[in-house]
Amino acid sequence: MMRTLLYKSVFFLFTLPAFAAAKKDLSFWEMIAPPEDISENGHLITWLFNYTTGANVFFMVLVLLGIVVFSYLYSAKRHKKAYYTYGDKKAHIIFVGACCLAVFLGIDMNITRISNNDYVNVFMKVPDVEKEDVLRVEVLAQQWMWKFRYAGKDNVFNTPDDVVTLNDLRVPIGKKIYFQITSKDVIHSFYVPNAKRKVDALPGKVTWMWTKFMKAGNWEIACAEMCGTHHYKMQAFLTTYTQDDFNNWYDNAQKYAGLENNPEDPTVFWGWKWY
Amino acid sequence: MASFEQHIHDKPTTFISKYIFSFDHKVIGKQYLWYGIFFLLVGGLMALLIRWTLAFPGLPMPFVGNLLFPATNGVVPPDSYAMLFTMHGTIMIFFAITPILIGAFGNFCIPLMIGARDMVFPSLNMMSFWVAVVSGILLLAGLITPLGAAAGGWTSYPTLSTLLGSPGIGQTLWTMSIFVLGVSSLMGAVNYITTIIVLRAPGMGYFDMPLTIWGVWMTSILNAIFIPVLGAGCLLLIFDRVFGTTFFLAGATATQGGGDPLLFQHVFWIFGHPEVYILILPGWGIVSDLLSFFARKPAFGAKATAMCMVSITVLSTIVYGHHMFTTQMSPLLTQTFMTLTMTISIPSAIFFVNWLGTLWKGSIRFTSPMLFSIGVIFVFGLGGLTGLYLATVTTDLYLHDTYFVVGHFHYTMAASVLLAGFAGIYFWMPKMFGVLMNEFWAKVHFWGTFVGLNGVFMGMMLVGYGGMHRRLYDPFVYEFLQKLIPVNTFITYSSLIMGGAQIIFVINFIHSMIKNEKVSDNPWEVGTLEWTIPSPAPHYNFKEIPVVKCGPHEFGNPLLKDKDFQYQTEELVRG
Repeated sequence: MMRTLLYKSVFFLFTLPAFAAAKKDLSFWEMIAPPEDISENGHLITWLFNYTTGANVFFMVLVLLGIVVFSYLYSAKRHKKAYYTYGDKKAHIIFVGACCLAVFLGIDMNITRISNNDYVNVFMKVPDVEKEDVLRVEVLAQQWMWKFRYAGKDNVFNTPDDVVTLNDLRVPIGKKIYFQITSKDVIHSFYVPNAKRKVDALPGKVTWMWTKFMKAGNWEIACAEMCGTHHYKMQAFLTTYTQDDFNNWYDNAQKYAGLENNPEDPTVFWGWKWY
Repeated sequence: MASFEQHIHDKPTTFISKYIFSFDHKVIGKQYLWYGIFFLLVGGLMALLIRWTLAFPGLPMPFVGNLLFPATNGVVPPDSYAMLFTMHGTIMIFFAITPILIGAFGNFCIPLMIGARDMVFPSLNMMSFWVAVVSGILLLAGLITPLGAAAGGWTSYPTLSTLLGSPGIGQTLWTMSIFVLGVSSLMGAVNYITTIIVLRAPGMGYFDMPLTIWGVWMTSILNAIFIPVLGAGCLLLIFDRVFGTTFFLAGATATQGGGDPLLFQHVFWIFGHPEVYILILPGWGIVSDLLSFFARKPAFGAKATAMCMVSITVLSTIVYGHHMFTTQMSPLLTQTFMTLTMTISIPSAIFFVNWLGTLWKGSIRFTSPMLFSIGVIFVFGLGGLTGLYLATVTTDLYLHDTYFVVGHFHYTMAASVLLAGFAGIYFWMPKMFGVLMNEFWAKVHFWGTFVGLNGVFMGMMLVGYGGMHRRLYDPFVYEFLQKLIPVNTFITYSSLIMGGAQIIFVINFIHSMIKNEKVSDNPWEVGTLEWTIPSPAPHYNFKEIPVVKCGPHEFGNPLLKDKDFQYQTEELVRG
């Protein structure tokens, strides 16, 4: 028994290159590319990531050059006598200070400023439900599933005509989607890889997030915070429709709303008035 | 500067007083070293099991699988997987790095490097170790309880870590174990701080202390302030689990009254962020010293390096909020924490310039401790710079809780601390055990570890960038992660290389102990106080308490005739 398993695993190890080759049509960069960004504002995050990467590569190359060049030039073989200095000459101090300023002003304060502007003016700007065209969705996380609730025909949450789905989020493109998220049991995290966003689902607290999808298709939603044994299975499917397709689905789902959504039954009913 | 006389005690004679309940800081340091290496082994093997599961989901673990998981034919089951990564994190942070870097090097180096005969409180020191042993037993005991050990991640966020998410006794044992370990660390910290302040040899000002001692000192101060905070959080969690209080329950989870699960995150990270500096500061100190020792040149800007350690110690206490960006704190707070976090890069940049400045125009001897120290510059550079993405709130929205975070903190904590720890072990081996390890195999060990760990941690950052989130038993249930299987396989192979390299270290270590070739008192030609006494150090350390006359990094003085370094007990040669 054990021996066969051993053989199986050794066999697998050797066939692994073939296994990897099955996906060989992907280049290395395609392999590690992040999930396709289909949101309106995800590019802000991508841009900042790339900017930071550029600056980081620059400084890392300097450090690496320092290590390699000094190791070569000043090895005991080539450089018998070390230069006796404490590094406290005026020139030394100015050089060190200049390096610090370059790092601090060159990357740190720049990305802080940009990131803060994006965060305050875009990501944390609460959509105006009255004035803007917004689709509101309530999200309830629990071990190990995602539940979504749409307001239904009357556009009021917590009423019998609410459309409720399980692990199945369907939204139109080109429209602001405004989520309110909470958790029933432990802490989860609502992770939309294709929008480059996540926000924690916390018991006893309603968090929120807005995003606008720009491309129709089928995508995935994950839980990013450890939430128990089956954390890895806490997956939901995201379908982005054109507005017409969405309306079709929504009208159809509306017909069955009352069947799946009985406010009289407290064991299955969940939801809250929109905050 | 000693404010009281240090007597020479009689040499302990019985086995128990010599090796088990010893008051001698050197023996306690070695006890911590064995303790740390044991847990390093346990935690490392757990890491290999985790890696196996990620690279080959659903396949039985070869060789050990059937022994460990007979019920599933050798496949790691999901609940065991959660236990594995929880215990791996806990063990590596609290039971491997802390004992080796702080327990072993702190204990061993402080009195020897400041010219004292022992710690100020030898029995507190002994108690500190044995309390740590109790804590280790509590932690491992969780593994044999019916529902298994803690499985809520090393952060153990409630409400998952309350009875609601973890009903077994394992989580309670975990929490108690951390609390007890906190008591042990606190005892050690108080002892270290007092010893460094009170027992420095006559003539030794604070800036005449080696930077290793600065690192351990700052670490101890952080430990003394923040370990009690974690202890308080753990106690509240124990109350929630055992006495039915509701400090961390809220919403639907709180049936009577209620608290806030976020409260624990605040308490945890107020401790947790200083903790990363608690772990790395001794490493920085060791590396700063060793670079100067083997570049045969005074440490470049040694005072600035010391002051940077101090400023990082202060800054580390006010930046913890960047661990909680996704809990949606107010933008006012994210901005504050983001800016404060960025300020840390100023002292960090000074470190790097000073380290490279030490190499500049040196006369570098590429011994094994030096290789490891140079390795630290590289891996800490990568670790530090990748931290920028995570301190920036918008990029953190994407990267938070992905493998990018895992790669980042492994670079800073695992890679840097591990390399600095090995540098220390190779360097102080003569003074600890009176032997030198084989240089050739030490260098093989370095390259194996270095290549392996870069493969592992760089790979982790790549898959994290690709969107793979943390703590997944089988990431490939997600379609968008399936293309990352080959990268995960690559990481696992790298981890095997890294693990395999440690076998070289163990064999080298045991071999040099068995061979027991006597080594000279000062094989590295270094002038700090521990090298003025015989190898291995006698139980009283210094026959006469030394008088310090110059700094720890006096190398390459052109006025010196027959050697290129000065002992700290010698008058500085001036023109």
